[in-house]
Amino acid sequence: MSTRVPTLVSVLALCGIGAIAFAQQAAPPPASSTHGAATTEAQQAELDKLALSKDGAGTPATLDPSAWRAVIPADNPLDAKRIALGRKLYFEKALSSDGTVACATCHDSTRSFTDRRPVSEGVGGKLGRRNAPTTMNAALLHTQFWDGREGTLEEQAGQPILNSVEMALPNEEAAVEKLKAAGYDAEFQAAYGRDVNYDDIERAIAAFERTLIFLDAPIERFLAGERDALSDEARAGFALFNGKARCVSCHAINRNNPLGTDNRFHNIGVSARTKDFEKLAKEALAALAKDSSEEALDELALATDLSELGRFLVSRSYADLGSFRTPQLRNIGITGPYMHDGSMQTLWDVMDHYNKGGEANPFLDGGMEALALTETEIDQLVAFMFALTDKRFAALNEEEHARQRALAQKQRPFRDDAIAQRKTFDFEKRVAGGGK
Amino acid sequence: MTERKPGQRDASELPIWKSVETKYMEEREATLRALGKLDRRSFLRVSAAAMGAAVAAGVGINPHSFTTVNVAYAQPQSEALGAAKKPEPAGFKFAYISDSHLYKRELNDRFIRSLLRAVDDVNALDPQPDFVLYGGDLAQLGQKEELELGAQILKNLKAPMRIMVGEHDWYLDMGARWRELFGEPTYSFDHKGVHFVTLNSVVEEDFWTAQGLTPMERMQTVAGLDNGKQRPFTVGAEQREWLKKDLAAVPKTTPIIVFSHSPLYKLYKQWNFWTDDAEDVQAILKPFKTVTVIHGHTHQLLTNRIGNISFHGMLSTAWPWPYAPEGLPAMTIQMNRPDPFNSMDGCGDGELLVHPDGLADKLYKLWNRNPVTVSKAYMTSNGKKDLPIKPNAGSY
Amino acid sequence: MKIARAFLLLASVAGVLGCGERPAEQATEPSEQAAAPPQAGETEVKLCDNHTTTTVPAGTVHTRDTGQKIADSLMAKWKAAHPEQDWEAEERKSRTFLPAADNAALIGTETPTQAPGHPYRNFTQQDIDSWKRETETFAVAGSKVFHSADELGSTIAVSCDMCHPNAANTHAETYPKFQTQLGRVALLRDMINWCLEHPVRAKPMDADDPRMRAMEAYIISQRAGATLAYGKH
Repeated sequence: MSTRVPTLVSVLALCGIGAIAFAQQAAPPPASSTHGAATTEAQQAELDKLALSKDGAGTPATLDPSAWRAVIPADNPLDAKRIALGRKLYFEKALSSDGTVACATCHDSTRSFTDRRPVSEGVGGKLGRRNAPTTMNAALLHTQFWDGREGTLEEQAGQPILNSVEMALPNEEAAVEKLKAAGYDAEFQAAYGRDVNYDDIERAIAAFERTLIFLDAPIERFLAGERDALSDEARAGFALFNGKARCVSCHAINRNNPLGTDNRFHNIGVSARTKDFEKLAKEALAALAKDSSEEALDELALATDLSELGRFLVSRSYADLGSFRTPQLRNIGITGPYMHDGSMQTLWDVMDHYNKGGEANPFLDGGMEALALTETEIDQLVAFMFALTDKRFAALNEEEHARQRALAQKQRPFRDDAIAQRKTFDFEKRVAGGGK
Repeated sequence: MTERKPGQRDASELPIWKSVETKYMEEREATLRALGKLDRRSFLRVSAAAMGAAVAAGVGINPHSFTTVNVAYAQPQSEALGAAKKPEPAGFKFAYISDSHLYKRELNDRFIRSLLRAVDDVNALDPQPDFVLYGGDLAQLGQKEELELGAQILKNLKAPMRIMVGEHDWYLDMGARWRELFGEPTYSFDHKGVHFVTLNSVVEEDFWTAQGLTPMERMQTVAGLDNGKQRPFTVGAEQREWLKKDLAAVPKTTPIIVFSHSPLYKLYKQWNFWTDDAEDVQAILKPFKTVTVIHGHTHQLLTNRIGNISFHGMLSTAWPWPYAPEGLPAMTIQMNRPDPFNSMDGCGDGELLVHPDGLADKLYKLWNRNPVTVSKAYMTSNGKKDLPIKPNAGSY
Repeated sequence: MKIARAFLLLASVAGVLGCGERPAEQATEPSEQAAAPPQAGETEVKLCDNHTTTTVPAGTVHTRDTGQKIADSLMAKWKAAHPEQDWEAEERKSRTFLPAADNAALIGTETPTQAPGHPYRNFTQQDIDSWKRETETFAVAGSKVFHSADELGSTIAVSCDMCHPNAANTHAETYPKFQTQLGRVALLRDMINWCLEHPVRAKPMDADDPRMRAMEAYIISQRAGATLAYGKH
């Protein structure tokens, strides 16, 4: 089913069915050479302000040293040259076919290392199907991408360069040639002792990304014992997080895993209703039978309708249909829009979705249940989530909190009180009717 | 349907907010209702085309049109990719839903939701099974409202239904309401060369009169799986006589399938995973070449073979039981221990594929898990061939 | 009301139905006898609770049998008015329990430095019997809560035994452990509370709630003999 809508007018004319899928089209990005990203200078200035580690020595603040050591691969230990090279490559638009897209285009340091859009825009103004995850703390995730199709930062870094709706280079050799032509050999030699090669491109970018750890939020001080680090509202939200709202079972936050994700894949029913999983699954199996390389998978995941199959594309496991990886909750306040398709604008929308128990589909994770949270409780949970943002982004966080609150007061498209409060159930009609 | 501006309240209606999902469901219902005006055969013929039309019109697609069995078979059995799609085998299929344990609607919504999920699953099968077996324990406390609620929900099944009784349905009024809704609990029928027999195998010796229990007390005693005041399940002399007579006219080469709520063998007495006169019943079935028993009550993946009789348990829609501490048949490969966070884990529905030789493959469709098939090859090789997947965390 | 009843039932653990042991919280039941005063020649026999009565017809011969009948009648009336006093026997009839440890080895051994009758570590048969009785009764009380959706406070009529008959699959010997559903290390009672909040949909209990303590006792007692393996999933 196409996610495109002719005009905004016809969206309103319809009985609001596709309002969710089409929310992402509400502000179509202008086809421009910047693709909406801030300039390299602005982004580099922001990075300088953030005072990132230059040499990757030691352990980032609040992390356990052994947990940190475990995420650094043996063949890519951190040092100043690699990080500097990686930072340069992160902004290197020559890695795209038309020279307009770099990693920083969709993972913009001035936009919380994502692009603050529902789905991302690549070469030629092409749109992908999935929301860009933030680079912040990505080093600590067990897998990369919404469907976990790559295991490490290195492997992830090499995929968008070759994806037709992202940076669209035809193959790895093209990337290497472009960098050689730009004179990168010397830096690669200094960093890795080898000339430019694709694997080292990946390694350098990953090394830089490992300096993007942002885990110094009010929650850290609270967990260390400072009760007043969280507001009353946020504290109440944390209690709900661990109790009535059931968040903790998939979004656990603890010392060994501070991100707030179980690194597992769940079908929580986002936009599941608009997809014919049967047809898509059959197509996916056929396509993967022909070519199941990483690049093919990457294309299927971002450029086709098969994107909605989620983890199924990777595992081909029936139980994984429509499942996506639990995202991290760190800095969640400033990394909207939310969900794998960016269909939710505010954290209130997210709470409405969970309060209802998600959207029914044959593969919905059974842990999704109507929660019967009150408005106050939802506000408290949202306040808690905003307390998970690194203090270096405190101003932006406040801004976002206010902006989202204002937006949520105007519209709550996912809210369904009757289902959430368990007053009526989505099967009500069928129970009463009993007809065929 | 009127367009509602955000924030606009209509006090006469609930819900105040109608989410896009609700609106979608209403539209889906409208589409399906229009299609439903056709008889069932025409419905199936045009539904595919109608879905196409619905898509073209921009109406949402039925999210439940998934042919689960095809995808399950399309999964490569080995690591090799792209294993050829297995051709649909000869024989016939029936689906099953079992052990829903419904409470009154106001009291518990969870069990109703899961029964409806099972109904949706079965209705979504393409092609439809020959019939749907309901495995007993439709109600939790045998109350009129519970049984009627269940009957109403099951009316939504597109395929014809066969039903058997469980102890939770019976012991409040000793089957009075059950008979009114579903007829006699003991019966037989023939279908495509197979002789089907349905027994009421939860007959207990009277323990309630001596103790002066009220009907509800009796029901609640039986409802406790670990309640030792009740007596073991039996088929009973009367039904065994009936069975002998019923089978007398059936040729010994005809495949027999028995529907029974209790397992018709002896697994664990404390939980009434047990039929006290199992040996007698098995003796009556023994002379037949191919016998399969499909039973409920145990809420888990359970497999046994005694002589020429195969025994398969059905999944519950409501909750899973742990495996008994002793007495587990050697043929049973446990399902993975369920996660209590997921109230549907360890539950589901399933199908039985009956081959022309009368032997059957049992498909367990566990929700949120990969389906498990216990095939006829596994049964006839006594567990040597075609093993179902092993769990990594069993009960203990 | 439910908690009061639970308190009542647990408070009466030590008290067998006996004269004068009626707990103060219990409301007095109106007895049927109050309506019918004894006729001429009849004798009214009153139980030692000063409340339950039965009437003996005139001219009854005083034999052991008639005396027994009178006592039985009084007992039956009292039991009917106090259905819960027999809770332990009822519960024991319904479920199976594992015995608490046998401390017989403590009997008859005296420490050399202390004379018989010295209070320190001179245990008698009565001591170990009463310990065993108390411990097992506490577990039986826990079983009663475990098996009752009402006692648990479930809002959807779900009780623990629906997933854990005889407390199967509770693995009490594996606590403390990292409980994935809770996202942190949990003790048994933390998991009980999680189950109360989610599958059972009741209010979680305080750590010192008598119901919680009794249930924990029951669950642990059902795993008697299992090897302690804390941290096992």
